[in-house]
Amino acid sequence: MKIGDCMKRTVVSIPATATVGEAAALFAARHVGMLPVVDESGRPVGVLQLRDLLALVMPDFVRLVGDIDFVHDFGAMEAPQPSPEAMARPVREVMQPSLSVEETCGLLRAFALMRQRDLHDLPVVAPDGRLVGIASRVDIGAALLASWRPPPKGDAP
Amino acid sequence: MIPGLLATLIFVVSLYLIFSEKLNRTIAGIAGAAVMVGAGMALGFYSEEEAIAAIDFNTLGLLLGMMTLVALLEPTGFFQYLAVWAGRWSRGHPVRLLVLLGTVTTVLSMFLDNVTTVVLIAPVTILISEILGVSAVPLLMAEALLADTGGVATLIGDPPNVLIASAAGFSFNDFLTHALPIVAAAWLTALLLVRYLFRVELGQRPPNAEAVLQLNPAQALDDPVTARKVLVVLGGAILLFFIHNRIHLSPAFIALGAAAAALVWVRPDTHKTFQRIEWGVLIFFIALFVMVGGLEAAGVLRAVAGLMARADGVPPMLFGVMMIWGVAALSAVVDNVPITIAMIPVIESLGVVGMNIRPLWWALAFGAGFGGNGTIIGSTANIVVASLSERTRTPITSALWNKRGLPVMLATCAVTSVLYVLAFPLLSR
Repeated sequence: MKIGDCMKRTVVSIPATATVGEAAALFAARHVGMLPVVDESGRPVGVLQLRDLLALVMPDFVRLVGDIDFVHDFGAMEAPQPSPEAMARPVREVMQPSLSVEETCGLLRAFALMRQRDLHDLPVVAPDGRLVGIASRVDIGAALLASWRPPPKGDAP
Repeated sequence: MIPGLLATLIFVVSLYLIFSEKLNRTIAGIAGAAVMVGAGMALGFYSEEEAIAAIDFNTLGLLLGMMTLVALLEPTGFFQYLAVWAGRWSRGHPVRLLVLLGTVTTVLSMFLDNVTTVVLIAPVTILISEILGVSAVPLLMAEALLADTGGVATLIGDPPNVLIASAAGFSFNDFLTHALPIVAAAWLTALLLVRYLFRVELGQRPPNAEAVLQLNPAQALDDPVTARKVLVVLGGAILLFFIHNRIHLSPAFIALGAAAAALVWVRPDTHKTFQRIEWGVLIFFIALFVMVGGLEAAGVLRAVAGLMARADGVPPMLFGVMMIWGVAALSAVVDNVPITIAMIPVIESLGVVGMNIRPLWWALAFGAGFGGNGTIIGSTANIVVASLSERTRTPITSALWNKRGLPVMLATCAVTSVLYVLAFPLLSR
């Protein structure tokens, strides 16, 4: 089985020129965790994850203090709004470098790539580089596990 | 003549490399030391045996012992615990928070390494400021300024003090009777001045004062068992420091003995513990000792002292005050450890030509300690809070430090100079 067999073919993507504010609205409306960022010809140029946007409002101490389980109330940082400047930035400046595979990519390879890059969704492209689908860790993992054969009967330890 | 010139050249080039940060200071130090010993052996003014004899093992032992205790205490979360506790006690009141965090940092840095203290307290300070919705800048700057100021009060508070105590033969209690009262006045001056200079920021009412009450100090203390063990040992060591002269134990022996006791009691993962010890700093000290030993052997320091002794007409009191300001100005722009190590033999040779050098040692300690407050690069604690703040949304800039830190340095040096003159008879004893 290849990634082309388990991916979703309707992909929500966003142009590189869109703003952070537009991306946030799209994430909220479509309830997705990642948006492939595409150029005018529909080729992915980067990926934008929910956490890239949330990083804009994450308190600095989360990065600086190792263990934050003693903080029970984020106080002033609880309901933060990004600055208007941050909202107007193009997604090109916030996105991560693109990672995509072709439809013929094996499932375990796809899963390993996502694990290494800490991605939860993987864009899939046609041989000409256009975005044709997207597969989540769950899509890939479930397809992999479904291929496992049950142990032969009577052989149980 | 030639050995003196050559030794001076080697020392000056090494210092230039250290201070300009063209080369890591440990690398520059060890290279300079190697060249110094090589030149000494070639020209016959400095031998390997003399180089080893120039290393002050009392200083190294004390530093290594205290570093080991800190390395054991660091991962327990004890520093974090104190900072969180200070945050809760402040109930979100900015000035109270300034005083509490400043006091915690100062007390810790009087007995432990300033840099470690600031490294561990500053992130929690940023946390408390963020959940309160106030600027962390006044608190972070206050912590660095007060830690550096407070560290001058004890023999073990600051590396220059360790060096001075070892050279002058001062005991732990000498620091408490001679330095502590003056440092306390300087510290209070620094605190009041920070309060005044940041009056706008500290005057804000935090929008979320209740959030700090939800902080749980007990959860911040990750390993209370180890923390308790190390604190018991540390407390024992501090008690021994008080009486070390009477029981004829060197501070180095007490610190290393305490480190040994703590290691036996805690039995940590030694790999991790010893990784936390700053070996680079210890090697830097050794390299500086070897270089200054070369200067001494080449007769340079005697020549310098001879020049200074010509200023015989200068009253000793004025000489001391000039030393406070001169050393402070130098240590505002460069590391105070090399300055101290280079000044020690100069002061010693002034003693040889008949001057009462006891007050000069204190002037050196005050100048080296308070001078670091003047610039963002003046002390390692300053560099640490500045680089931490660069990872936040409100970085501390060099210009800001000149506006808020430099006045603190000038004020503490001024207060110290006045008290130095008033207490001169006591400091001469």
